[in-house]
Amino acid sequence: MRPIIIALVCVTFISAGLRAAGTGATTTMPAARAAWVMNFDGDWLVAKGLPEKIMLLSLQGLANRAAPQLYVVHPKEFQWEITGPLFEFYQRKHGVAFTEVKSAVAALTLFGRYAKGYVIWEPAVPATMNVAFTIAGLEDALVVTSEQVAQVEKFGLKRIDDLRGRYTGQTDAQIYRDAYARYWSRCAHDAIMLMGGQFGAVRMPAMADWGVRQKMFFHDLSANPNHPEELALEKKLFSELAPGSTVFGWHSYAKDTEEQHTTLLSGYGLRMEGLHNLPNLSFNCQFTFTPGFKFTNNHQVALDAKLTAQQKVYISFVQSDSIGIGVWTKPGRGKLPFGWQVTVNWTKFSPAALEYFHESATKNDYFIGGLSGPGYMYPNHIPADKFEVLMADARQLMATLDEHIMEIMDNSAADGNVGNADLTKETVDRYYKAFPDVIGFINGYGPARTRDLRDTRAMISYDYYIDPRRPREEVAADLNELIALNAKRPYFLLVHVRESNDVNTLVEITKQLDGPVEIVPIDAFLKLAASNKTYTTRYQDPADPKHFKGF
Amino acid sequence: MGSAMKFISWKALGLLLVLPLAAWAANPALAGRWRLDPKRSTALDGWTAWDLVVSLEGTSVDLRHDMQWRATKLTSTNTLDTAKPTTVQNFFRVEQRHMALYQVRGALTPVRAEWLDGERTLRVEATPQIEGSQGTGPMRIYQELRLIDGDQELLLIELHSTRGKPFVYRFTKVIGEK
Repeated sequence: MRPIIIALVCVTFISAGLRAAGTGATTTMPAARAAWVMNFDGDWLVAKGLPEKIMLLSLQGLANRAAPQLYVVHPKEFQWEITGPLFEFYQRKHGVAFTEVKSAVAALTLFGRYAKGYVIWEPAVPATMNVAFTIAGLEDALVVTSEQVAQVEKFGLKRIDDLRGRYTGQTDAQIYRDAYARYWSRCAHDAIMLMGGQFGAVRMPAMADWGVRQKMFFHDLSANPNHPEELALEKKLFSELAPGSTVFGWHSYAKDTEEQHTTLLSGYGLRMEGLHNLPNLSFNCQFTFTPGFKFTNNHQVALDAKLTAQQKVYISFVQSDSIGIGVWTKPGRGKLPFGWQVTVNWTKFSPAALEYFHESATKNDYFIGGLSGPGYMYPNHIPADKFEVLMADARQLMATLDEHIMEIMDNSAADGNVGNADLTKETVDRYYKAFPDVIGFINGYGPARTRDLRDTRAMISYDYYIDPRRPREEVAADLNELIALNAKRPYFLLVHVRESNDVNTLVEITKQLDGPVEIVPIDAFLKLAASNKTYTTRYQDPADPKHFKGF
Repeated sequence: MGSAMKFISWKALGLLLVLPLAAWAANPALAGRWRLDPKRSTALDGWTAWDLVVSLEGTSVDLRHDMQWRATKLTSTNTLDTAKPTTVQNFFRVEQRHMALYQVRGALTPVRAEWLDGERTLRVEATPQIEGSQGTGPMRIYQELRLIDGDQELLLIELHSTRGKPFVYRFTKVIGEK
């Protein structure tokens, strides 16, 4: 069977090459290449679909070390909606000729040779999944359950390790301390994989291929002060990472909060890159922008433009949560000016995705940098001696992406309903110093009240956040109440759009707003805000309520 | 004539006594824990659960708001007096949490409360100072808490001077919890 597959692979390579030559390909088309694609379903249940997916993700990470070979398309309802469009993009713009791989056996047949063996994890001890992934990256192993052993052994793979029984009855802190002692010194020290997210009956480690490829240490330690042993080990790991390293993945929904974890890693000058289920980075990282491509933004105003605000309400919509998990693919995009926060370091490991977004942008789509820097971080907690280095990286990435606005978010003292999401004056001072050439800054995720204006650069916080579950008539009533309460004109109303909203419904909302209202793109919005300061200057007040008081 | 006058005087005296007592007479049926029925109420924003705990003592009325969002809980109480206008420090209003409108810390909110409809409705009027992005300003809030026939349901209607739509919240009585 194997010789036939190899022959087919060769034919595919050759025909892809011929296809590229035969089309009289322009100089902008990269050399054609072959790759394979699997279509995943939505079954991530530990007791059902998860073990096979884990095995395939470890295989993907190993197979994609040498070349981008295996790509996964997820169902339309998967949180990351980008996999299908990007699959099409790779074919069209990068000349990738994909062949479908229809089963795990077929995948093992094609790529099993990239593994040297397998490691058995124990679903009844959840942390063993992460320990197994660590081993997979270091030892070129597939991650399997005991039920899958027979399957992988048919491909000549041998047992490298067996985690069954090793950690029975131990806490996660004990398990990861043992893993640290065994494996940490051999793992990457510029990145770590926080493989948390769902827990219990469902796990969704779709980012694992990346961690395996890069030989990262996998864990889901808690940043919750109520879990002191886990927190202590997490701090130790963070302190041993290289400056400016990246924490990939996401916190465990069972143990702590996004706010706790991001606060913690920010204190070490690290950057967060989520989520735990962001797929295909082992594939995506091996593509650059297509030859001749230059990222250009839909600027509505020049950097040095001067606008004059009129006596009306100006509204601007922005979506964060990085493009790829939300409104981008939903109906109606382009009908309203929309700002889109781009995870700037996708230039390093997912540039094709950024090019796809650029290509499919309408004139009403405008890209801004964030969150807070060259990755997701809470700037109130970035040590002073690390801030400038991090922001220098952000400036460079924003320059590559032709972005003129930085979006900042710091929820270290908030949880969405209580506390505050504001920046200290010291933090605001640092941003103004670090970004002399931006049009301005926006702040928040939910509403916040950090505002400033220095020279021509305004810093405006969100005055409203649209929850997709909120009935549209209530959203309109909320916006009208803000318009009534903020009675001075012009009024600058910055609105954050939660990723699962639908632009068509936003259009309907805008028709219900009172008085002269103009929806403007975010670059024009900040220029207008700089022309007439009807908002107060405010920073985080030490007496403001804090939901989480830190470590 | 003399006895008629006496009767009228007694009647007048009785009225004089009863009228102020009406201001003082709280309806015990309002006291207790009331749980929001989200399906029959204006959507909360941010919050996922709301218990309103009403305590009565003479003319004093405590409206305690037990709010929840996932695992986060918040409790805050507005103490009113139906006999006279008062001020409440840090007057709690159930905010639409996704709006940048904030309580002015430490501010005193003038509040008036009175019983209506044979003590089956509690009217509350408050004018808290609210901080927005342009500074602070007043929001006039008008509430009626109405006992529904049977005393197992409570209807809260709230109007803002700044809002074109009322909030309508329905609560059901919770037995056995304090």
